[in-house]
Amino acid sequence: MRTAVLLGFRLRQEVLEWSGAWWFLLTLVVQAVVAPLIGLFVWSAVYPDDPSIARYYVAVILVTLMTESFEQHTFSERIYDGTLSHELLRPQPVVIGVIGMNLAIRAWLTLLGAPVVVLTGFALRAGFDWSAVLRSTPYIVVAAVLVFLWTFLLALTAFWTDRVHAVVGFGSQLIFLFGGTAAPIGLLPDTWRRVAEVLPFYGMNGLPAEIAAGRRSGGGLGYQLIWVVVLVAVVTVVWRIGVRRYTAVGS
Amino acid sequence: MTAVEVENLSMSYKAPVRKGGLRAALGSLVKREYKTVQALDEVSFAIARGEVAGFIGPNGAGKTTTMKILSGILHPTGGAVQVLDNVPWQRRAVFLKRIAFVRGSQPVGGSQELTVMDSLEYQRLLYDVPRPDFRRTLAELEALLDLEPLLERQLRALSLGERMRVGLAMALIYRPEVLFLDEPTIGLDVSAASQIREFVSEYVEQTGATVLLTSHYMADVASLCPRLILIDRGRVEYDGPLAELSARLSPYKLIRISTQGDPTAFGEVVEKADGQWVLRVPRDEVAGTTGRLLQALDVVDLAIEEPPLEKVIDQAYRGGLR
Repeated sequence: MRTAVLLGFRLRQEVLEWSGAWWFLLTLVVQAVVAPLIGLFVWSAVYPDDPSIARYYVAVILVTLMTESFEQHTFSERIYDGTLSHELLRPQPVVIGVIGMNLAIRAWLTLLGAPVVVLTGFALRAGFDWSAVLRSTPYIVVAAVLVFLWTFLLALTAFWTDRVHAVVGFGSQLIFLFGGTAAPIGLLPDTWRRVAEVLPFYGMNGLPAEIAAGRRSGGGLGYQLIWVVVLVAVVTVVWRIGVRRYTAVGS
Repeated sequence: MTAVEVENLSMSYKAPVRKGGLRAALGSLVKREYKTVQALDEVSFAIARGEVAGFIGPNGAGKTTTMKILSGILHPTGGAVQVLDNVPWQRRAVFLKRIAFVRGSQPVGGSQELTVMDSLEYQRLLYDVPRPDFRRTLAELEALLDLEPLLERQLRALSLGERMRVGLAMALIYRPEVLFLDEPTIGLDVSAASQIREFVSEYVEQTGATVLLTSHYMADVASLCPRLILIDRGRVEYDGPLAELSARLSPYKLIRISTQGDPTAFGEVVEKADGQWVLRVPRDEVAGTTGRLLQALDVVDLAIEEPPLEKVIDQAYRGGLR
């Protein structure tokens, strides 16, 4: 209960804090939608008669906006400038602050990016089946958890290297390639498709988008949850080792 | 009752080193070399509950490292530490709610867009401060730190002195029992520094808190700390009353006199301007020299002073205590 209250307060704080940087958030929205739009244009040209492609990419844009994570900018910087020490001395888990900021940024990106999604959907006449959209909700929630865990895990490398942006950039490329943004997973060559379906990235992006677009009716929540468990375990171990290192050498 | 107990505390780092030049740089890719830096070496001391101790030493002596260990940010490579019967680096919530670590270089953490009042409210939630206690403490802090004009302002818009006042308020709103102050007056002007000193003094008097303070400003130390712990190169070089340190390091006192005569025969002249003289005289000869001066010269005014604390400490830093 106390954790929920603290998280709620932190979320409110962060929403207020980021409200002053709406122009910066707009640039993040643009960055987030560019890659799915390129995918949309390319694959719409390849399959001009398949209306589900447009629907799928509109859903990918929405999922991307709702699941974006920037822990390499927010959390890693706290390691670099030493202000993580402030957080360590607070009687609450450090991750509450990280999650609060993550949710606040996502809320703003979704709000500011909603017009892009609506306009693209109307322009391409991407008619959605609203029951499919509703069915995709738990998948989007778990995808948001997965993207956060993945980005946070890579951001934790800031305990060892000052090149965290390169590390997280590489991780984002993996999401782009295997997550269903570069191409819908179903259109990949067989071997690559099988690899992509096993890796966690499909569950971060392509899976919820496919369900929202009606290209897939369901299934796969178990696969997503298994990756949540795996990533939580890895994040926990890396966090402990990282904090141990931070507290051994200082800021 | 002991609030802080430190026994044989040691801290060493492995810092990567290499010679200059391309060859050494390429060589370090294959085999990295490290040098062990001993930040703290068998440091021991204890601070009783309600005591205020000054922790001084030159840059790089190990003061901030010790403070970080005592507050729980760092864990040492050797030795034992108990703060309020807790091992600090375990950072248990019950322990963190009883201590505060305020750094003059980073007095306020957290979201900088928030107002001071929002930040204090967050502290209330974080530290489970009951509302009536929160209101009472806030009223006291408002009065002591002149906080009222700052409450509705954003943290990022505060001046350095205001940030320090707010940093102290945020740290003290939950009434910590042990307060670690790391250079609380760094960068502040004379009156702001004086205000902070007065506040700390009043807070200690009111609450009986234990304080460990580091500062390069001797005014902070002289006005707040009856006890000094002097650390240099990771070792405790002195632990005791300030006056004793002064006597030990400086076997002289200063006699300041106003006279039209020439007092050069009575001691070493360290200052001379417009009939004002400052003579350096061995401590055990002060009374005799003063008597002779008053008999021999037409003295308008005379005062006997301890040497300036800055000079004493400077001497300790440069020449050591041994």
